[in-house]
Formats: sequence, C-alpha cells, structure tokens
Amino acid sequence: MTRPGFVLDVDDRTPPLVVHEGEGFRLERFPRGTRVVYPPESLPAVRDIDAEIANALHHPIDCEPLPALLRAGMKLTIAFDDISIPLPPMGAPDIRQRIIEAVLTLAAHAGVDDVELVSANALHRRLTEAELRHIVGERVFRSFFPQGALYNFDAEDRANIAHLGKTAHDEDVDIHLRSAESDLLVYVNVNQVSMSGGHKSVAVGLAPYSSLRHHHNSSTMVASRSFMDHTKSELHSSAWRMGRVVAEHVKVFQIETTFNNDIFPDAFSYFQKREWEWSIADQAKMLAARRGLAIAPKRMRHRIFHDVRSVYGLTGITAGAVEPVHDITIERIHRQQLVEVQGQSDVAIMGVPFIGPYNVDSIMNPVLAACMGLGYYFNSYRGAPIVRSGGAVILYHPVEWEFNQLHHPSYVDFFEEVLSTSVEPSVIEKQFEEQYATDPWYVHLYRTSHAYHGVHPFYMWYWIAHALDHLGNGAPGGGQNVVWVGGDRKACERMGMRAASTLADALEMVSGAVGRNPSITYLHNPPHLIADVT
Amino acid sequence: MTQTPAKFVRETVADVGLVARGWRWGVGRRALVPRSAEAFVPARSTRVFPTRWARTPLAQAVREVLLGVGMHWLLRSQVSVRAHGLDVLRRISGPVIFVSNHASHVDTPMILTTLPPAWRRRTAMAAAADYFFDTWWRAAGSALLFNTFPIERRGGSMSNTPGALLDDGWSIAWFPEGTRTSDGWTAQFKLGAAFVALGAQVPVVPVAIRGAFNAMPREQGWPSKGRPRVTVRYGDPVIATEGEGPRDFGRRIEQAVAALLDEDGTDWFSARQRAIAGATPPSSGPQVARWRRVWEASQPPADAPKHRIWT
Repeated sequence: MTRPGFVLDVDDRTPPLVVHEGEGFRLERFPRGTRVVYPPESLPAVRDIDAEIANALHHPIDCEPLPALLRAGMKLTIAFDDISIPLPPMGAPDIRQRIIEAVLTLAAHAGVDDVELVSANALHRRLTEAELRHIVGERVFRSFFPQGALYNFDAEDRANIAHLGKTAHDEDVDIHLRSAESDLLVYVNVNQVSMSGGHKSVAVGLAPYSSLRHHHNSSTMVASRSFMDHTKSELHSSAWRMGRVVAEHVKVFQIETTFNNDIFPDAFSYFQKREWEWSIADQAKMLAARRGLAIAPKRMRHRIFHDVRSVYGLTGITAGAVEPVHDITIERIHRQQLVEVQGQSDVAIMGVPFIGPYNVDSIMNPVLAACMGLGYYFNSYRGAPIVRSGGAVILYHPVEWEFNQLHHPSYVDFFEEVLSTSVEPSVIEKQFEEQYATDPWYVHLYRTSHAYHGVHPFYMWYWIAHALDHLGNGAPGGGQNVVWVGGDRKACERMGMRAASTLADALEMVSGAVGRNPSITYLHNPPHLIADVT
Repeated sequence: MTQTPAKFVRETVADVGLVARGWRWGVGRRALVPRSAEAFVPARSTRVFPTRWARTPLAQAVREVLLGVGMHWLLRSQVSVRAHGLDVLRRISGPVIFVSNHASHVDTPMILTTLPPAWRRRTAMAAAADYFFDTWWRAAGSALLFNTFPIERRGGSMSNTPGALLDDGWSIAWFPEGTRTSDGWTAQFKLGAAFVALGAQVPVVPVAIRGAFNAMPREQGWPSKGRPRVTVRYGDPVIATEGEGPRDFGRRIEQAVAALLDEDGTDWFSARQRAIAGATPPSSGPQVARWRRVWEASQPPADAPKHRIWT
C-alpha cells in the first residue's frame, strides 16, 4: 500500500538527509526540529496502458468519442507537449508515442488523410530529430517527419499564426494557424505537475510572443499564488480566458496523463526511499555514487545524470473537453503529490537538482537554477508559501557561471547586461524585454538553430518574481534573503543573492531577517511534492 | 578537476564516517526510525524466515566451534564472566525454558557460553522477528551463531515454533521483557514464555544476569574497556502447579528472577528469607529519577560479602 507524504521532525535519530545540488547531491545534517516534507510514495501504476488509452479515447468526458469526431476529408492536427516535460525524460516508449499511435490508428480507420503533428514548443528551443523521434516513436516519425508533417511550432513564423480575437481583458489570442484551422485539434499532455495542462496547453504551447506577453509578465507572475494551483494563479486565469476564446474557434480534444513518483531508475533507487529505511546496499550504492561523482570528470557527471531515463508508472489518462478533463487530472496529481503542512516557517530549504524544464541535455545556468528553485520549487504549494513573508530561502546548487551557447544564447546577454543593471523583474521588463523579444539575431537562432527565444530568460526571471516579492515583504531586495549553499559567489551576487559554503553559514547569513533560532522547513524534492500549507 | 588523491581519500573517509554514524553501523546497531516517522513505518513482511537448517547436525557442529571456542574466548577477553547455580541443571533434564532479564546484547552469548556444552547444543534462542530477522543476512547470521528462531514481540498470532522445538527436545532461552532495558532495571515480563511453558508442560529455569548493563548498555556496540564484571546465576526450576494460569505462572517466574538478582547481590540464605517473606526488592528498581536508576544500575556487581578466615 502506498504510504502518504508526511512531515518529519528532525531528531537525534534522524540520519543525514539527501539534498540534491545540480549534478550531484550531498548528505546534510539538519538542525534538530527542522521539518522535512516528504512526498507520498508512488501510487500503483496502470497495468494495461493500451487498454486505458483506448478507454479514454472511446469514453471521453463531455465530448463525443474520438472515432465519432474523425471522418474522411477532415483536417486533423495532433499537438503534443515538448521535451520540457516530463523530467527526467521518460524511457521509451514515451506515453505520447503510445497515445499518438492510438489516435492515428483510429484516424487511419476513419480515412483521415490530412494529418499534421506539431510539438507545442511556444518559445522553447526546437526539438532535434532524435528528440522528436523519442517522443513520437519511430513509426510515427518515419510516417510524418520526412513529409514535413511532423514539426516544431515556430512562434516567429508570422504567416502561420492565426489571430482568433481578444479576451474580455483585451488579451490577444494568437495561435498556430494550422491548429486554428483544423477540424479537430488533439492535444496530448504529459501532466507531471499540476501547473501543466488545461487551457494552458493550447493557449500557451501553441502561442507566439504577442499572446504570451499578456500573462508571462512580472505583475501576473507576482499575483500567481501559486502556479501549482490554477484557481489562484493569474497566469492560469489568463490562459483560461484565452483557452475559452480558442474553444470558440477550434474543436479541441484534450488528452491528459498523470504519473506516479517513480522518477529515479534502479541505479538511483535510494533517492526514492526515506533515508532511515536505506538498506546496507542502498548505503553502499549511495556512497559509491558520491565518491564516483567526486572523481568523475565534469562531462561524465553531466552524462550520468542527463542519461537518466525515468520509469514513471501511468496513474491515469483522461480525454475529452478541456476543463472537466483537467479537473480529474488535478485530483490525480494531488493524490500523488500533495502533503499537508501545518503553518509556514522562517526558512525554507530546497535542493535544486540537475534538470529543469529548460536544460534537458543542456546546462542549468544560474538563471535556470534560480527559476527551478525560486520559481518551481518555491511555488510548489497550495494555500500559502512554505516560508513566511519576509523569511529566507536557502538553496543548494553550484550556480556556476556557465551557459550553453547553442540553447541559451540570449541568457548570456541577459546575465551580463540586464541583471547587472537591475534584478527587479518589473524594472527589467520595462527596460529590456521588448528589445530582447524582437532582436533579429535571437529570432534567427530560435527559428533556425536550437536556441530558446530571446525573451525566454526574462520569463524565467518573472517566474521568481513572486518569491522575490514574498521574501522582500513586497519591497525590492527580496533576493538578499536567498542564499545558495555551494553557489558561485559572483554568479549569486549578479542575481542579487548570496552564497554560503555550508548550511550553518547560510543560517548565519539570514539571521538578520529570521533571527538566530528560526523555524526551518526542508522540501525533500524530488520526487515531486506540493506542500498544502494550512 | 580539483580533486587530489589526498583530498579524495580525506573526503571518502569523511563520507564513510558520516554514513557510519548516521546509519549506526556496528555490531548490534542499526539505523533508528525518527520518532515522528514511526507512524509511517511499513508493515513488516509476514513471511517467516526458515531456521530449521540451523538445527541440522552440520549447523550444530559449526555453531559449537563458533560459540564454544570463538565466542567463548572473545567474550572472556572483553568481560569478566562469573557463572553460578549451574548445578541445578544436573538435577533436571531438558527440555526447559531459560528465562532471563535482558540488559544487553552480551546476554545471549553470556547464557550460551556459560551453559554446559550438552545443554548449549540443545538450546535455541527466541529472538525478536522485527529486529533479528529483518534482513536475510542478519537472520541467517543470528540463526547460525545463536540458533535463534523468530518470535513476534509486538502482538499478533503466537508462533508455533517454540512449542514444536520443545516437543522435539530442544530447550529455549527467552527474554520475556521483549527488549533490552533502557535504564538497567527490568521491565514487566510479557507472558509468552509462561504460555509456552504451560502448553508444553516444561519447567522454567530462571536466570539472572547482573552487570551486563554496565558492560555494554544499549547504544554501545562493544563491551566497555577494563573487562567489566558480569555474573550469570541460574536458579531452581519453576514448575507450574495444577490449574495455574499463564498470568500467575508468569508472575512467579518474574519473582524467581527478581529473587535471583537479589541473591546475586547479597547471599542465598538472606535472599531466600526475603523471598519467603515477600520482601524481595523489585527487579524493576527504585521509583526515583531516571538518572538515579541509571546511576545505580550501572554500578559493576560487587562480590557478595566474604568472611575473612585469617584476621
């Protein structure tokens, strides 16, 4: 039976606990009384995935069965989540492949000829052929890619963007032209976290900058509390308004999938266990991994972690109308990830792992590390943040001053030019965003290379706007209450944050804000969790 | 890469030390469950680890060497062992149940190495299933070395192994407190041993061990330095009377162990007098502050007063 998540109080019996820090991890002894939030254990996985997929397609919610929506002569587009999810990537066969194959089988039976598949990249980098092949599988890739019917969404291809109108809040709703003109748009989601899915799939994944700027901005992000609770997220409210406009023009058949917390494969199975339950073999494996990583060249360390392919178990698949489908998805995700936590604390501690949505097979540069810690992990709450307003956050990551020039060219300039001017999201938004968003060189790299869009680093910085605002008590300078253990001092300083060598030093540094005897909560993440703070 | 060989070795030693302390490596030690996580400990497997193999002639021969030679020598090199009252075993024949107070992991080898070889070879130890049988290697090791068999100490259905062993002529050694004392004094005896003795109609031989708490208390993986003294005293068998229930029989067994502890600290005759008068000091110790109980229990056992012949 799956054990629920729970909050551990560190006592004299508690062994050192695992803290992820980039391409490595450490064992940390936390002060007694520290609360440690553990996610629930993995839920049982669906045994017959193909039967579950068939059932979802034939018995959708608030919608006709998929076979009834397919007919000869129609225009069918299948959109799917890109490589930013799940994390780490899923071992083959990817769930998207299995679903797309099932949809295409039904389309073939119905005599549908005009089919196109699009990776919903938004402003993310284009996927390589190998990445596309991994997601859709060899059969689908071979059938569609050579003909140009399987491709990445290009948000800068103005000729292929449709303007569907405006929302009641005067937000432009622009999406991928082919999707807008299709008789049926099937969207295949991988809902690893509650932030994904719903109307965000089409309205964000297939949208250009002209649409995204309405919700990917500092004021919306500050008002999103949190991204993991779409009912309290301004970002999601905007996406929901846009999604309803989309629904007026396009028939969307939404498919959402949820997974258990089986993130780590056998070699790292001890990361899935609670430390005091480690067997001798687990302890030996962990020690071997730590010592091996200590002497492994950087490139090898990178490969070891980025070659991880997870063995997620499917916990459910639902299809049909967007909103009722998403409600079921949220309920499933909460069952897997929600942990009740009583009250906030003065200090939150989080370990930032090696991978985030935007550095798959790439480098987690300082901006992405900040986004992962203060954007995603900080926002992994429902109710209230795990740390009180004006409190402090301690993160673990090397925060190396290092960028991938292929994937993140605009990040380099953002880090050098923009953050050296200001670290306040609203200031840099006004001063620099449009320039980066329209820079022809960045646009060129986004369209022809594998670069994230020029405006992407701004969006990453907006992701942390809520955390900075919360830690700064609504005033600028919230970054001063953020300390990176093991972080590069210069890189942290550039982001308006601080670096410490040890946890004890970090606690000393934040004592001005939280006192010398603060309450501390450590989010033991990954595997994923959402702190339900009451 | 900033790793030098010296730094690597230093960090490796530090890592191993951290894990060894954190997960409490060492003989008889294991990782503890944090108190706030105890409610979430998964139910243990109901599968019973087979121990019949540990009572085959081959396993007995191996054990006789390990216990009778190796453990006997090792134990006496670390603690000063005195055994008394073994003559009672000459007056009875097995099988019996040896019931002892339990203060330390040295108790088991203490009993097994003080028993006469003929008795030792036919004695099995009842051991907590959740502690000694939680991993295959610990289960196999303890079964081979001490001839243990698992019993469930946290309730549940009664194992039928003890009865079967007694029926086959094996004696059993049993610690009815269920766990080692945390302050040196005995806890209330559970009724399992009395139940089994009544069912199999075998006598119970009380055993009192003094000094083990001082020699190697909980949290310690090896006996203290200085060869601390430990005494093992065997008492007259306790036999159930006609119609006696497990509760009354269990209480008599507990009193017999308390009287033996009293005897070991004083002398046989005065201890007998107190026992007859119902004035045996309770083995659960004085009801005073915990530190005083620990303080008193951690005194090494003194010799009984001697009369000087030559003055």
